Amino acid sequence: MVQFDDTLECINKIQRATTVEQVCAELLAVTSRFGLNALLAGTVPGPDTPLDGQKEHVVLCDWPLGWLQRYVERNYVDHDAVVRHMKRAPGSFRWTDANTQEELDAGSREVIGDASSFDLHDGFAFPVLTLEGTPIMVSLGGPAFECSPEQVSVVSLVSTYAVGRALQLSAIDSRHADKRPLTDREAECLRWAAVGKSEWEISQILGISEHTSEKHLLNAKAKLGAVNRVQAVAEAIRLGYIN
Amino acid sequence: MFFALSTGELMERPRLWQAVHELRYRIFVDEMGWEALARPDRLEIDQFDHEEAVHHLVLRDGELAGYQRMLPTTRPHLLTEVLQDLCVGTPPCGPDIYELTRYSVAPAYRDGRRGMSTVGTELIAGFIEWGMGIGVDKVIIEFQPMWVLRALQLHFLATPLGYQRAYGRQQVVATLLQFNGDTLQTVRERRNHFLPVLARNRPAPAGYRLAS
Repeated sequence: MVQFDDTLECINKIQRATTVEQVCAELLAVTSRFGLNALLAGTVPGPDTPLDGQKEHVVLCDWPLGWLQRYVERNYVDHDAVVRHMKRAPGSFRWTDANTQEELDAGSREVIGDASSFDLHDGFAFPVLTLEGTPIMVSLGGPAFECSPEQVSVVSLVSTYAVGRALQLSAIDSRHADKRPLTDREAECLRWAAVGKSEWEISQILGISEHTSEKHLLNAKAKLGAVNRVQAVAEAIRLGYIN
Repeated sequence: MFFALSTGELMERPRLWQAVHELRYRIFVDEMGWEALARPDRLEIDQFDHEEAVHHLVLRDGELAGYQRMLPTTRPHLLTEVLQDLCVGTPPCGPDIYELTRYSVAPAYRDGRRGMSTVGTELIAGFIEWGMGIGVDKVIIEFQPMWVLRALQLHFLATPLGYQRAYGRQQVVATLLQFNGDTLQTVRERRNHFLPVLARNRPAPAGYRLAS
């Protein structure tokens, strides 16, 4: 009971987190009790993903910085036995089981050795499926991993909430991502439109062509994500372009 | 089309009643392996199909394509009677909380094994609309842990009620899901369908069959 209340409290904190870093910190606060103090969650990149494209696959990350750099630079994702095992047999497993069950080449031995040098000796990985059906692999590691089956299910449940919160936060971000700021002229045209001026009137006031004033208003509408001029004005007021 | 029917209204439509219980049998006994529900007549019926249960049906071209059953938590329900070991502490209850059980989509209406079918999301949009119309904003669901992430992506506020356990062939976790207009909007955006799904009328009394 006490332990479950604990789990609930962590999940509450995760759902109230406002940044992905906070989500990571709350999750690791739970998992570090079981010797898991490093975390990476993301979709598994295909074999030919360029190095700078790998970042887009990451949902949650709190890996030792040096390890992360090396992982990306040396393209370890293509040699990591844990990733290979997840692709071949999606499910939850210990890192050490993946290392014994997968055929190891020189590259995968290098990954294991390097992980150890960053004090990542063992860990636990499992997939979660998004609404779109995309598997996200969660991998947690640390110096020594000791966990009963019940604790494993707590770790995977709390991790699922963490991935969910991270996806919510990135969805919120992307809603605002297209919203480039209005230029001075676009804002000015909207201000005149807000007091009922036509495109022709606005063009006369600002000394521009009617076509240009129309274009400014269309751009403003698109940037504000509005379906019509009324909504664009309302949104501009909300964002402080018009007071 | 999404319909919400009382048990009485469902029983007035014998073909539909039959289709509902056949679908439940196919999903919960044949697919999920809940052997305790097995019966020779291949109809899945239990003590919770009482007069206060609400049956949600998705019909497509005269066929039953999807189903879920809503139970009031003001009287005994699965979490308090059958699945007690999924709940740690006192089960939440009240007039604003229903328990969503027997969520089923007929195989012909699943869009592949992954992702969400349109019938599946219509059931979700439907129970949110139905709940918001009668002052219900929370449901208890006992589902596979992978649904937790999907629920969060749909902007439900989720709270686990206990630890996951094996049930039939699945792991199951009891979860309280709270929803509001933002949840409904998110579900509608995902479905790319913005009109209400909950029908104001009742389905015709005859002529329905279970989809394959």
